[in-house]
Amino acid sequence: MKTRKYPFPALLPFLILVGLFELLPLVMVVFRSFMPENGIGLTMTHYVHIFTTRLYQQAVLNSILVSSVSSVIGIAAAYFGAKAVHEGGPHLQHFFKTILSLTSNFAGIPLAFAYIILLGKVGVLVLWGKKFGIDALANFNLYSVWGLMIIYVYFQIPLATLLLIPSFDAIRKEWKECVSLLGGSSFIFWTKVGLPALRPAIFGTVSVLFANALAAYATAYALLQNNFSLIPIRLSEQFVGDITQHKEFGSALAVVLMVLMVASILMNDAILKKGPLLLSSPIGKKEEKT
Amino acid sequence: MKNRKSSRLTAAVLSAYLLLPLLMTLLYSVFSKWNDILPEGFTLRYYAELFSDKSFGASVIRTVLISILPILFTSLAILLTMYVVILYLPGLEKYIRILCTIPYAIQGVILAVSVLALYSNAPGLLSDRTLLLTGTYCVAILPYMYQGIHSSLLSVNAPRLIEAAQMLGAGRLYAFFRVVVPNILSGVVISAMLSASIIFGDFIIANTLGGNYFETAQIYLYQTLFESGQRTSAVIMVLFLVTLLISTIAFSLKKKERRQE
Repeated sequence: MKTRKYPFPALLPFLILVGLFELLPLVMVVFRSFMPENGIGLTMTHYVHIFTTRLYQQAVLNSILVSSVSSVIGIAAAYFGAKAVHEGGPHLQHFFKTILSLTSNFAGIPLAFAYIILLGKVGVLVLWGKKFGIDALANFNLYSVWGLMIIYVYFQIPLATLLLIPSFDAIRKEWKECVSLLGGSSFIFWTKVGLPALRPAIFGTVSVLFANALAAYATAYALLQNNFSLIPIRLSEQFVGDITQHKEFGSALAVVLMVLMVASILMNDAILKKGPLLLSSPIGKKEEKT
Repeated sequence: MKNRKSSRLTAAVLSAYLLLPLLMTLLYSVFSKWNDILPEGFTLRYYAELFSDKSFGASVIRTVLISILPILFTSLAILLTMYVVILYLPGLEKYIRILCTIPYAIQGVILAVSVLALYSNAPGLLSDRTLLLTGTYCVAILPYMYQGIHSSLLSVNAPRLIEAAQMLGAGRLYAFFRVVVPNILSGVVISAMLSASIIFGDFIIANTLGGNYFETAQIYLYQTLFESGQRTSAVIMVLFLVTLLISTIAFSLKKKERRQE
């Protein structure tokens, strides 16, 4: 086998692409994050700066806060949504899944703008709140961390539900029958059998949601440009825009964001990466269609 | 039966919540005033204005072009690689998979600034913004294209198919590109559609690398944000419909494929 010559040129497009636009840029960012500004050497100053300056501490904390809270709310809503699909009839399934995939495309700037129309300074809901005397709506401040959170929750829900729906297929009717034969209610079934069975899928989905929210940029940028203290905003302003560029410091910020994202993806490793390999798969076995 | 009812209620509440912002944007784009409880003055003026704006049309065409190129190149690169993997170097598959999954873990902003930092001052062709944008989009859609092509190859059992073709006297290259590839084409098209909708929705990569050099539809949208609310809503609705169209085509292809099986 080893002596068989393989057509190396066929690998070239892939290697060039991955080398030039994936590996080299990332490796360089990691290297640059340890270099002093406009010089050569090795330094940790940029990292120290991130974790000791209020502005950047705030960005790291805000990013983690917004991402984790929106992921938890998103997964909770998704659990009920996916359960509804699981228990509902074919019409409900078709209708609800269509809505989900429709709205999962609604993100970024369009979504931020829709919320400005709804809850911005002269938003429709704010207007209604004033007319009907609902203070919570009338005084709502969209341009705050909590306002941002509301928008993040919106884009987490369709994604989370779509990711969670297939895992409900694993829940067998027989299990429910067993529980009810033994005298357990539907509540007992879900807390003692259903949720534990879904646990890997739930954790996997949360990690995807968390990474998804961490990297989100357009929503916050459309709302308040560079005035939100989030890692992606602080990161991009080191490279693009009016202020002087700080590539080395920006690289350190990129590494911090990368570490956070990889950490959350690694949690999910077991679930995402354990798909069957092409050649080791049993012959004739087809991938399960859901 | 109780379950049916409660699931219907859950689905209805969630659907209403999810549709509300979309519906508001639509209403906002067809009314000239909304200072009271209900909007007033129905008009299609904003759409007419938008379609007569040449720079909007140009930005949409640019977005289409910058989607097609990366999709074609990435599909080709992955197919060629899988050809080598299946027929010559099965041990390589693990590494290809890792390389194709990395962009998934470092999506958007990190990838864009890394590329910009490395090449913005590079000599010659490498600092060309259009090239940087194309290359970065290729990498950004890599996980989705790989996943789609990989699972299609799996579902037609490509190694077996090639074996069969070879027994009938076909060469390796012929077996892969004339027997396997036509069989997985619809799977490739579906991931291509998904990738197109990702590129259509992208702002961060376009803004970082393209900016004023290569104004995509999302950049156009961002600029209208500060001009007129109604105009912005109209742009959003048009872009949303285009994305919807792309994913509807993908969805119907998927359905067709399943029926054939």
